Amino acid sequence: MTFRVLDPTPGTAAPAGQLAPRLDTLQGKTVGFISNGKEGTKGFFMHLDQILRDEYGVANVVSRTKSNYSAPADPHIVAEIKSWDAVVSGLGD
Amino acid sequence: MLGVEDIVQLASRTHDVDDISAVQELYHSNGWTDGLPIVPPTREAVEACLDWVMMPPDQLIGIEPVRGLAITAEKLAVNAVMAGCLPMHFPVVVTAWTAMMQEEFLMHGATASTGGCAVLVVLNGPIRLELGASGGFNALGNSDRATAVIGRAIRLCLINLMDVRPGAIDRSTLGHPGKFSYCVAEDEEDTTWLPLAEQRGAPKGASSVTVMAAGAPRQLMNEWTTKPEEILETFAAEMRANLRHYSIHPGNYALIIPKQLREHLQAGGWSKSDIATFIHERARIHRREWAEVGKGAVVRDRGDSIYPAMDSPDQLLVVAAGGPAGGFGAVIPPWLGNKSHAVTVPIGVCVDCEPPKK
Repeated sequence: MTFRVLDPTPGTAAPAGQLAPRLDTLQGKTVGFISNGKEGTKGFFMHLDQILRDEYGVANVVSRTKSNYSAPADPHIVAEIKSWDAVVSGLGD
Repeated sequence: MLGVEDIVQLASRTHDVDDISAVQELYHSNGWTDGLPIVPPTREAVEACLDWVMMPPDQLIGIEPVRGLAITAEKLAVNAVMAGCLPMHFPVVVTAWTAMMQEEFLMHGATASTGGCAVLVVLNGPIRLELGASGGFNALGNSDRATAVIGRAIRLCLINLMDVRPGAIDRSTLGHPGKFSYCVAEDEEDTTWLPLAEQRGAPKGASSVTVMAAGAPRQLMNEWTTKPEEILETFAAEMRANLRHYSIHPGNYALIIPKQLREHLQAGGWSKSDIATFIHERARIHRREWAEVGKGAVVRDRGDSIYPAMDSPDQLLVVAAGGPAGGFGAVIPPWLGNKSHAVTVPIGVCVDCEPPKK
């Protein structure tokens, strides 16, 4: 007996976000960190902050932490992204 | 004149396969299953589900709030058929997904979390009887066909519509058996209590679905008393254990109370609200107790702080279910406290529904 069966997946990709234009250099730039707030983010972002400043000449590092680590970033954090040149979003798991 | 079957256009791609074994291998090899065999989702079977709920295939059930994924009736039906659902089960699947897509349920977080959460589905109202959904023997396990296939459909939809596959979106460190199927029908005929859905504001007599982002059931036993306070103290102690060993985040907890213990509570005149008030008072710990279970590092200077399992009594979901004998019960803890809230939605069959009331 043959079967004609249906595909259970959406068949189309999820709407993807668009990458911001890539930076030529980090020199003098402002980089934002968005942490999910878990314990593992602390050491990672502290170290990354130092590397970006010392080795890449980043001028400012702005650290923000989500109020709910299982939900999207809070609107006030998202609004702030416009004033950054680059953003690193990190999980602490 | 054209019948419905003539004008229905399903959007899903089709695959022609030689026999039932090939069907199974096709679905397993594509990662479209939960590891168990599936029922072949043929066009006829899917259309029968859509006919039952009077929805066109492209009926938008909702848009998943975080990733913007559109969930259509057709895709829910394909996965429901695979899970073993008959058309009569499909309204429950649609309603459960409607509930899961409410923002307060936080579906993406709950299903992606390392915390190993499953979606607990509680059925209330006359549809339980129409489906043969049993809230008796072996509730929370393989009690009956309806709860088994409805719970499985929820998981297959998550896998296939949201890529909630282990290691993909599903980042669970540990899962639990409820991630195959986690559905229970309340035993409304054998209790004097209000049904859960009515307690939570659904219209009296309406068939309703409640979803909760939940950990595994924690089973308990107390056959040595008839006093309501002592019975409930055992439940509260299990919740305190969860606060100590798992997470102090307050939120929705569910209590599954089978008949033997329920009858003592009912004989004492305890309503679900009375139970919730008692539990809210008793299910709480001091932060310093963490030091007793190996978590002393996070007690810090807040040892005297008190952590209740729930912010308020109405966060407790009391469900009458379980076999007629045995002094057992179960506490079902939240995935991660108030990060996700239980949602109750009455089952409706309509093409142009308004959003569910909060």
